[in-house]
Amino acid sequence: MLINQLKEAPKSRLIFYSIVIVSCLASFIFVYHNHSFYDRPIAKVIDTTITDSERIIDGLQNEDERFTQKIEAVVKNGEHKGKTIYLTNEYSSSGAYDQAFQPGHELFVKIVQTEDEALTGYIMNVKRDKYVVITAWVFIFTLLMIGRRQGLFSVMSLGINIALLSLVLDYYVENPQSNLLWISAMTVILFTIISLLFVSGLNEKTYAAIVTTLVGTFASLLITYVVLSMTSDSGIYYEGMSFLTRPYRLIFLAGLFIGSLGAVMDVAITMSSSIFELYEKNKDISVKQLKETGLEIGRDVMGTITSILFFAYVSGSLPMLILYLKNGVPFGFTLSMNLSLEIARALAGGIGVVLTIPISLYTAIFFVQRKRARV
Amino acid sequence: MNAIGLLSVILFTLMAFVGGKQGVRSFFALFLNLLVVILTVFFILNTSINLLIITLIACVLISCINLFFINEINDKTIAAFIATIITVTILLLFIHLMTKYALIQGFSEEETDEISGYSLYIGVDFVKIATSVIIMSTIGAIMDVAISISSSLHHLFRLNPLLTRKELFQSGLNIGRDILGTDANTIFFAFFGGYLGLLIWFKDLEYSFGEIVNSKVFSGEMITIFCAGIGIALIIPISAWMSTFILMRDKEKLDERKTSQN
Repeated sequence: MLINQLKEAPKSRLIFYSIVIVSCLASFIFVYHNHSFYDRPIAKVIDTTITDSERIIDGLQNEDERFTQKIEAVVKNGEHKGKTIYLTNEYSSSGAYDQAFQPGHELFVKIVQTEDEALTGYIMNVKRDKYVVITAWVFIFTLLMIGRRQGLFSVMSLGINIALLSLVLDYYVENPQSNLLWISAMTVILFTIISLLFVSGLNEKTYAAIVTTLVGTFASLLITYVVLSMTSDSGIYYEGMSFLTRPYRLIFLAGLFIGSLGAVMDVAITMSSSIFELYEKNKDISVKQLKETGLEIGRDVMGTITSILFFAYVSGSLPMLILYLKNGVPFGFTLSMNLSLEIARALAGGIGVVLTIPISLYTAIFFVQRKRARV
Repeated sequence: MNAIGLLSVILFTLMAFVGGKQGVRSFFALFLNLLVVILTVFFILNTSINLLIITLIACVLISCINLFFINEINDKTIAAFIATIITVTILLLFIHLMTKYALIQGFSEEETDEISGYSLYIGVDFVKIATSVIIMSTIGAIMDVAISISSSLHHLFRLNPLLTRKELFQSGLNIGRDILGTDANTIFFAFFGGYLGLLIWFKDLEYSFGEIVNSKVFSGEMITIFCAGIGIALIIPISAWMSTFILMRDKEKLDERKTSQN
């Protein structure tokens, strides 16, 4: 099949790869030379020297080392472009809230003294765009080389979904009276249709999977909502979202809604394509056999997909857990403060995944029966 | 009972009802996974072993739980296990390089309120912790692809024992490509859901595009998403190759035994 594709369309393939490579090079040239697009002054580190270091031991006998670093950098944009700037940076060897800079790093700076030839200033932030772009291209090339067409579709579907999410959030932020749950419901429907069409194309198993996914996600959201209301959120600590000036619970539920969507889609499409495959291979297969085999497939994927969600959510709390425990905060308090939201998300997602198995089974069988009746 | 307890009971009931014995085992696997995470934190706090090595050991334990405990020890799970460990090791080195240069470790200025009052000089290398966070958030998806490919290839080989090494590897790649999209979606949406609060906050603060892209939190999360995607793709050829290798080795052994019997 692949060889045929190559024979049939060598030109379009060649054109496609040239476009990818050209846009890759173009974006690299852009992120390495985009300083003039930023309003804030940017300085590139040329040389660093450590001028001071001290050992520090905090109240709980944690040992660390703090360094003072003198940095020589060149301003890359604005009125002082090309001039040398001298900066000071303090960092610790653990780097929880600070960092050591090396030649090559680019920094957003605030220039304070402009009388002399030599400038000084403060470091405001690090310019990280080029690292995001580098990782993005490694991601795109890995997916294209290994996944070919499906890899391309994954990249495209990720891009479209990110754009959609950004648009929806803009709408939500600009319309304060709008209801986030309704907005997420609409978004979830769009996400599902877009992603599943990219994954398996326009056909009946996709339709069955779309119906299943929507029913499954809404059911799991409903269950979680009822549970949270019944227990009046006891055991859930929203402190991890305290930076928000908006209703935490609503945003938590909306996040949970979107977060379990991928896993539910995964189960729905796996189940629906296997059941259709069974039917295509043996058109006389009985409903009972379809049910049994379908359930077996569902059981096989249930555990691993729930684990995917679990790790995707829980791992992010590691830095906070370590900070709390190193500061002598009691173990139980640390866990509930930092893991309750993540574990609730993983459990709710797991409920969605497991519920989807029977829903998917009956929906797919319904679609198969309808197809059978038509033949 | 609190919300988490009630949600756990519901999940357990559903898993037991739909999945029977295997469902119960899947539920306990989740519990064991949590235990490994806590154990990892404990090791990071109390030993001076290199954090990357602790992470790798945690990944080995997690793979054992999710491959050998939920399923059982057989050729399928062994192939998936080795493939997972190889992929995780390669990915670990790449991610460490990225976190080191992109300086996305530790806490961001957006989290200042949360961390104020705590001592930040705690003598733990946060660059390595950032690496460990990214790899651990992806390991579930990597294992899932690995076991899907190896069990499908076993099934295929049992049905068509005459398949050559090359054909088998190619089928492995095709199976992997088919599940690439759905597994990538699973993890991408999980991340979107987790980051939703933060994204709304960025929009509320009216950060400019440049400020968002360069902020520690956002760039860190984009790098996490991309690395997860890279991991899911990378496991495909590795798992296909590993399963093919094990299947062919078994077949050769079997053939040898047959010829010696004759």
